[in-house]
Amino acid sequence: MPWLPKKTVVVPIDFSDESFTALDTALELVADASHVRIVHVLPYMEVTDPGVIWEAIDDDSRRTHAEDALKERLADAKYKGIQIQIGFGDPGREVADHAESSKAELIVLSSHGRTGLSRLLIGSVAERIVRLAHCPVLVLRK
Amino acid sequence: MQRSHTVCWILVLAITACFSLGAFPSSVSAEETPAAATDQKDAAEKDAADTAKSDTEDERDGWMDRVDKWFGAKVVAPLAAVLFFDLGAVARFFGLGTEELPSTGLPFVVIWLLCGAIFFTIRMKFINIRAFGHAIRLTKGDYDDHNEPGEVSHFQALASALSATVGLGNIAGVAIAVGQGGPGAVFWLIVAGLLGMTSKFTECTLGQMYRKVGADGSVSGGAMHYLKDGLAELRMPVLGKVLAVMFAILCIGGSFGGGNAFQVNQSLRAIGQQVSWLDHESPDGVPWVYGIVMAVLVGIVIIGGIRRIAATAEKIVPAMCGVYVLTCLYIIVAHWNHIGWAFGEIFRGAFTHDAAYGGALGVMVIGIKRAAFSNEAGVGSAAIAHSAAKTKEPVSEGIVALLEPFIDTVVVCTMTALVIVITGVYDKEAFPDYAVLVERNNGAALTMHAFGSVIWWFPYVLCVAVVMFAFSTLISWSYYGERCWTWMFGPRSSLAYKILFLSFTVLGSIVTATNILEFSDLMILSMAVPNILGVALLSGKVRRALDDYWRRVKSGEIAPIKK
Repeated sequence: MPWLPKKTVVVPIDFSDESFTALDTALELVADASHVRIVHVLPYMEVTDPGVIWEAIDDDSRRTHAEDALKERLADAKYKGIQIQIGFGDPGREVADHAESSKAELIVLSSHGRTGLSRLLIGSVAERIVRLAHCPVLVLRK
Repeated sequence: MQRSHTVCWILVLAITACFSLGAFPSSVSAEETPAAATDQKDAAEKDAADTAKSDTEDERDGWMDRVDKWFGAKVVAPLAAVLFFDLGAVARFFGLGTEELPSTGLPFVVIWLLCGAIFFTIRMKFINIRAFGHAIRLTKGDYDDHNEPGEVSHFQALASALSATVGLGNIAGVAIAVGQGGPGAVFWLIVAGLLGMTSKFTECTLGQMYRKVGADGSVSGGAMHYLKDGLAELRMPVLGKVLAVMFAILCIGGSFGGGNAFQVNQSLRAIGQQVSWLDHESPDGVPWVYGIVMAVLVGIVIIGGIRRIAATAEKIVPAMCGVYVLTCLYIIVAHWNHIGWAFGEIFRGAFTHDAAYGGALGVMVIGIKRAAFSNEAGVGSAAIAHSAAKTKEPVSEGIVALLEPFIDTVVVCTMTALVIVITGVYDKEAFPDYAVLVERNNGAALTMHAFGSVIWWFPYVLCVAVVMFAFSTLISWSYYGERCWTWMFGPRSSLAYKILFLSFTVLGSIVTATNILEFSDLMILSMAVPNILGVALLSGKVRRALDDYWRRVKSGEIAPIKK
């Protein structure tokens, strides 16, 4: 018996193994894979990036590439029906916004467990999602 | 995340506070700055004008002097003591060859750059010479395959990297080299350019090897990546991390100095010779206006995100190089009867002991310093741009990259150098009016006078060139700095970096040329310390990849793509 029979669950994916583990956990909670929405957030590119300067890459091509990469990674039958969403900007804000607009009941994510200086300087996306989310957040420890 | 943001803003505020507190201390009084009028021939008249000008400057521009003095004493001097540690002092300590030691000293970093370049050139079996033809074919696009991973073509990556390298270092830096080291410095400049081709090859190959291609097809690479990941592979993760962080910090500093303030400072000095209200020496001069205008224009691009301006600035660089080289050639041809003499002076000066120029060793130090400053070979910055190239063969982009020091130093810098030597403007005896420019490291102004000696409107061509070169270099270096900054602090803090960057743009129009030059040298050249160490440790891997690549090119396995 699934925990959340007809509810939407959002899972942010950053292509790390931990994020795919979170996805598997989310699938155990819902009745059907189509209730899971995965969100992959891309940073905006600088206009001074050579690829942007020479118009070799833009947000549309990046979205297509990222979607294709996700579809390839999620080719397994158990992932059939999962909805894919690509966002741009700050990962914490984007995931929280997307969860709200899709009326999600839960966000499931993994924590990378940064420590020391890099935690102080770069911070934790998980922490930010917890802070900004409108719904409960399930943070899986590494 | 919240915390990271706070940390960055605290950093920005702290630096700003340091500037405002240090720049305007109530106890510091502005000393008299001797102002010089370069256009006045009569010495007595000049002296009178000098006094009058410094008096007015004291009252009006006291704040600019204070900023400059604070920058020199609090930022430049302490950094110089560590980073430009004089190896000559060690030699003196042991009582070795004290007579031969040059007045410039033997800065550790210059010897380091030279040894690195020689080591790589031997290790890669003179790839700078044997792959030259192949480099041109790669750049032409003969081997371009659009399905390979990456963002841009070989040519586009080279052009982007060149827009960062070709700048005021080529116009002003070279004039400074000839002014300080005499014609002999030109010889060492070219030698350093040729050897630097292999340093550039090695670091850009590594940049490609350790770049990260994201799921979205975007690429991030550069010295911080290969130092960290490459040395971790060699079971030196701690050293790798330390070198990578050191590189990133110095690269951010380099993007404030040589890639920014130096460009603004020297282009302003050149323009000041033509437009009196922007002249530092003029009593009514408001040079900071130029800094503000430049900061606004760059801000529109890097904060406002106007792609078209950035693209135009970068794409125009190859054309501007062409115009500049043609103008220089015209000047050289106009002085055709001096060409033989100029080359004679260059060779003579390179090997003879001339005390006025710091001796033979001093001339070498100056030549190598200015070459490395201009072409960034061994510094590691260009690996950031070259890692964007579309290819699955890292070595191929390294080979394209070796053209960069060639174009920058062996072609463009040599042109400036020949113009300076042939017109003789560096010579204090022949042109006493310009001696003050040499003394104050106003290299661009010196080049301006050399240009003006042939056709009256040539200085205006140079004005356009310096502004274009400065602007494109600022744009490209802001990218290098931003990459290093976000690598350390995460993408959310990039705005803080950009604001700091723009404040250095303004600072460049206020601080004196000598302080800016010193600060820029410190940052950019010191990047070579972590970079060359890491690249040398990783050079075995590059050598293996190169041998394998070269074998496949020779056997025809890697062949031009038929279109």
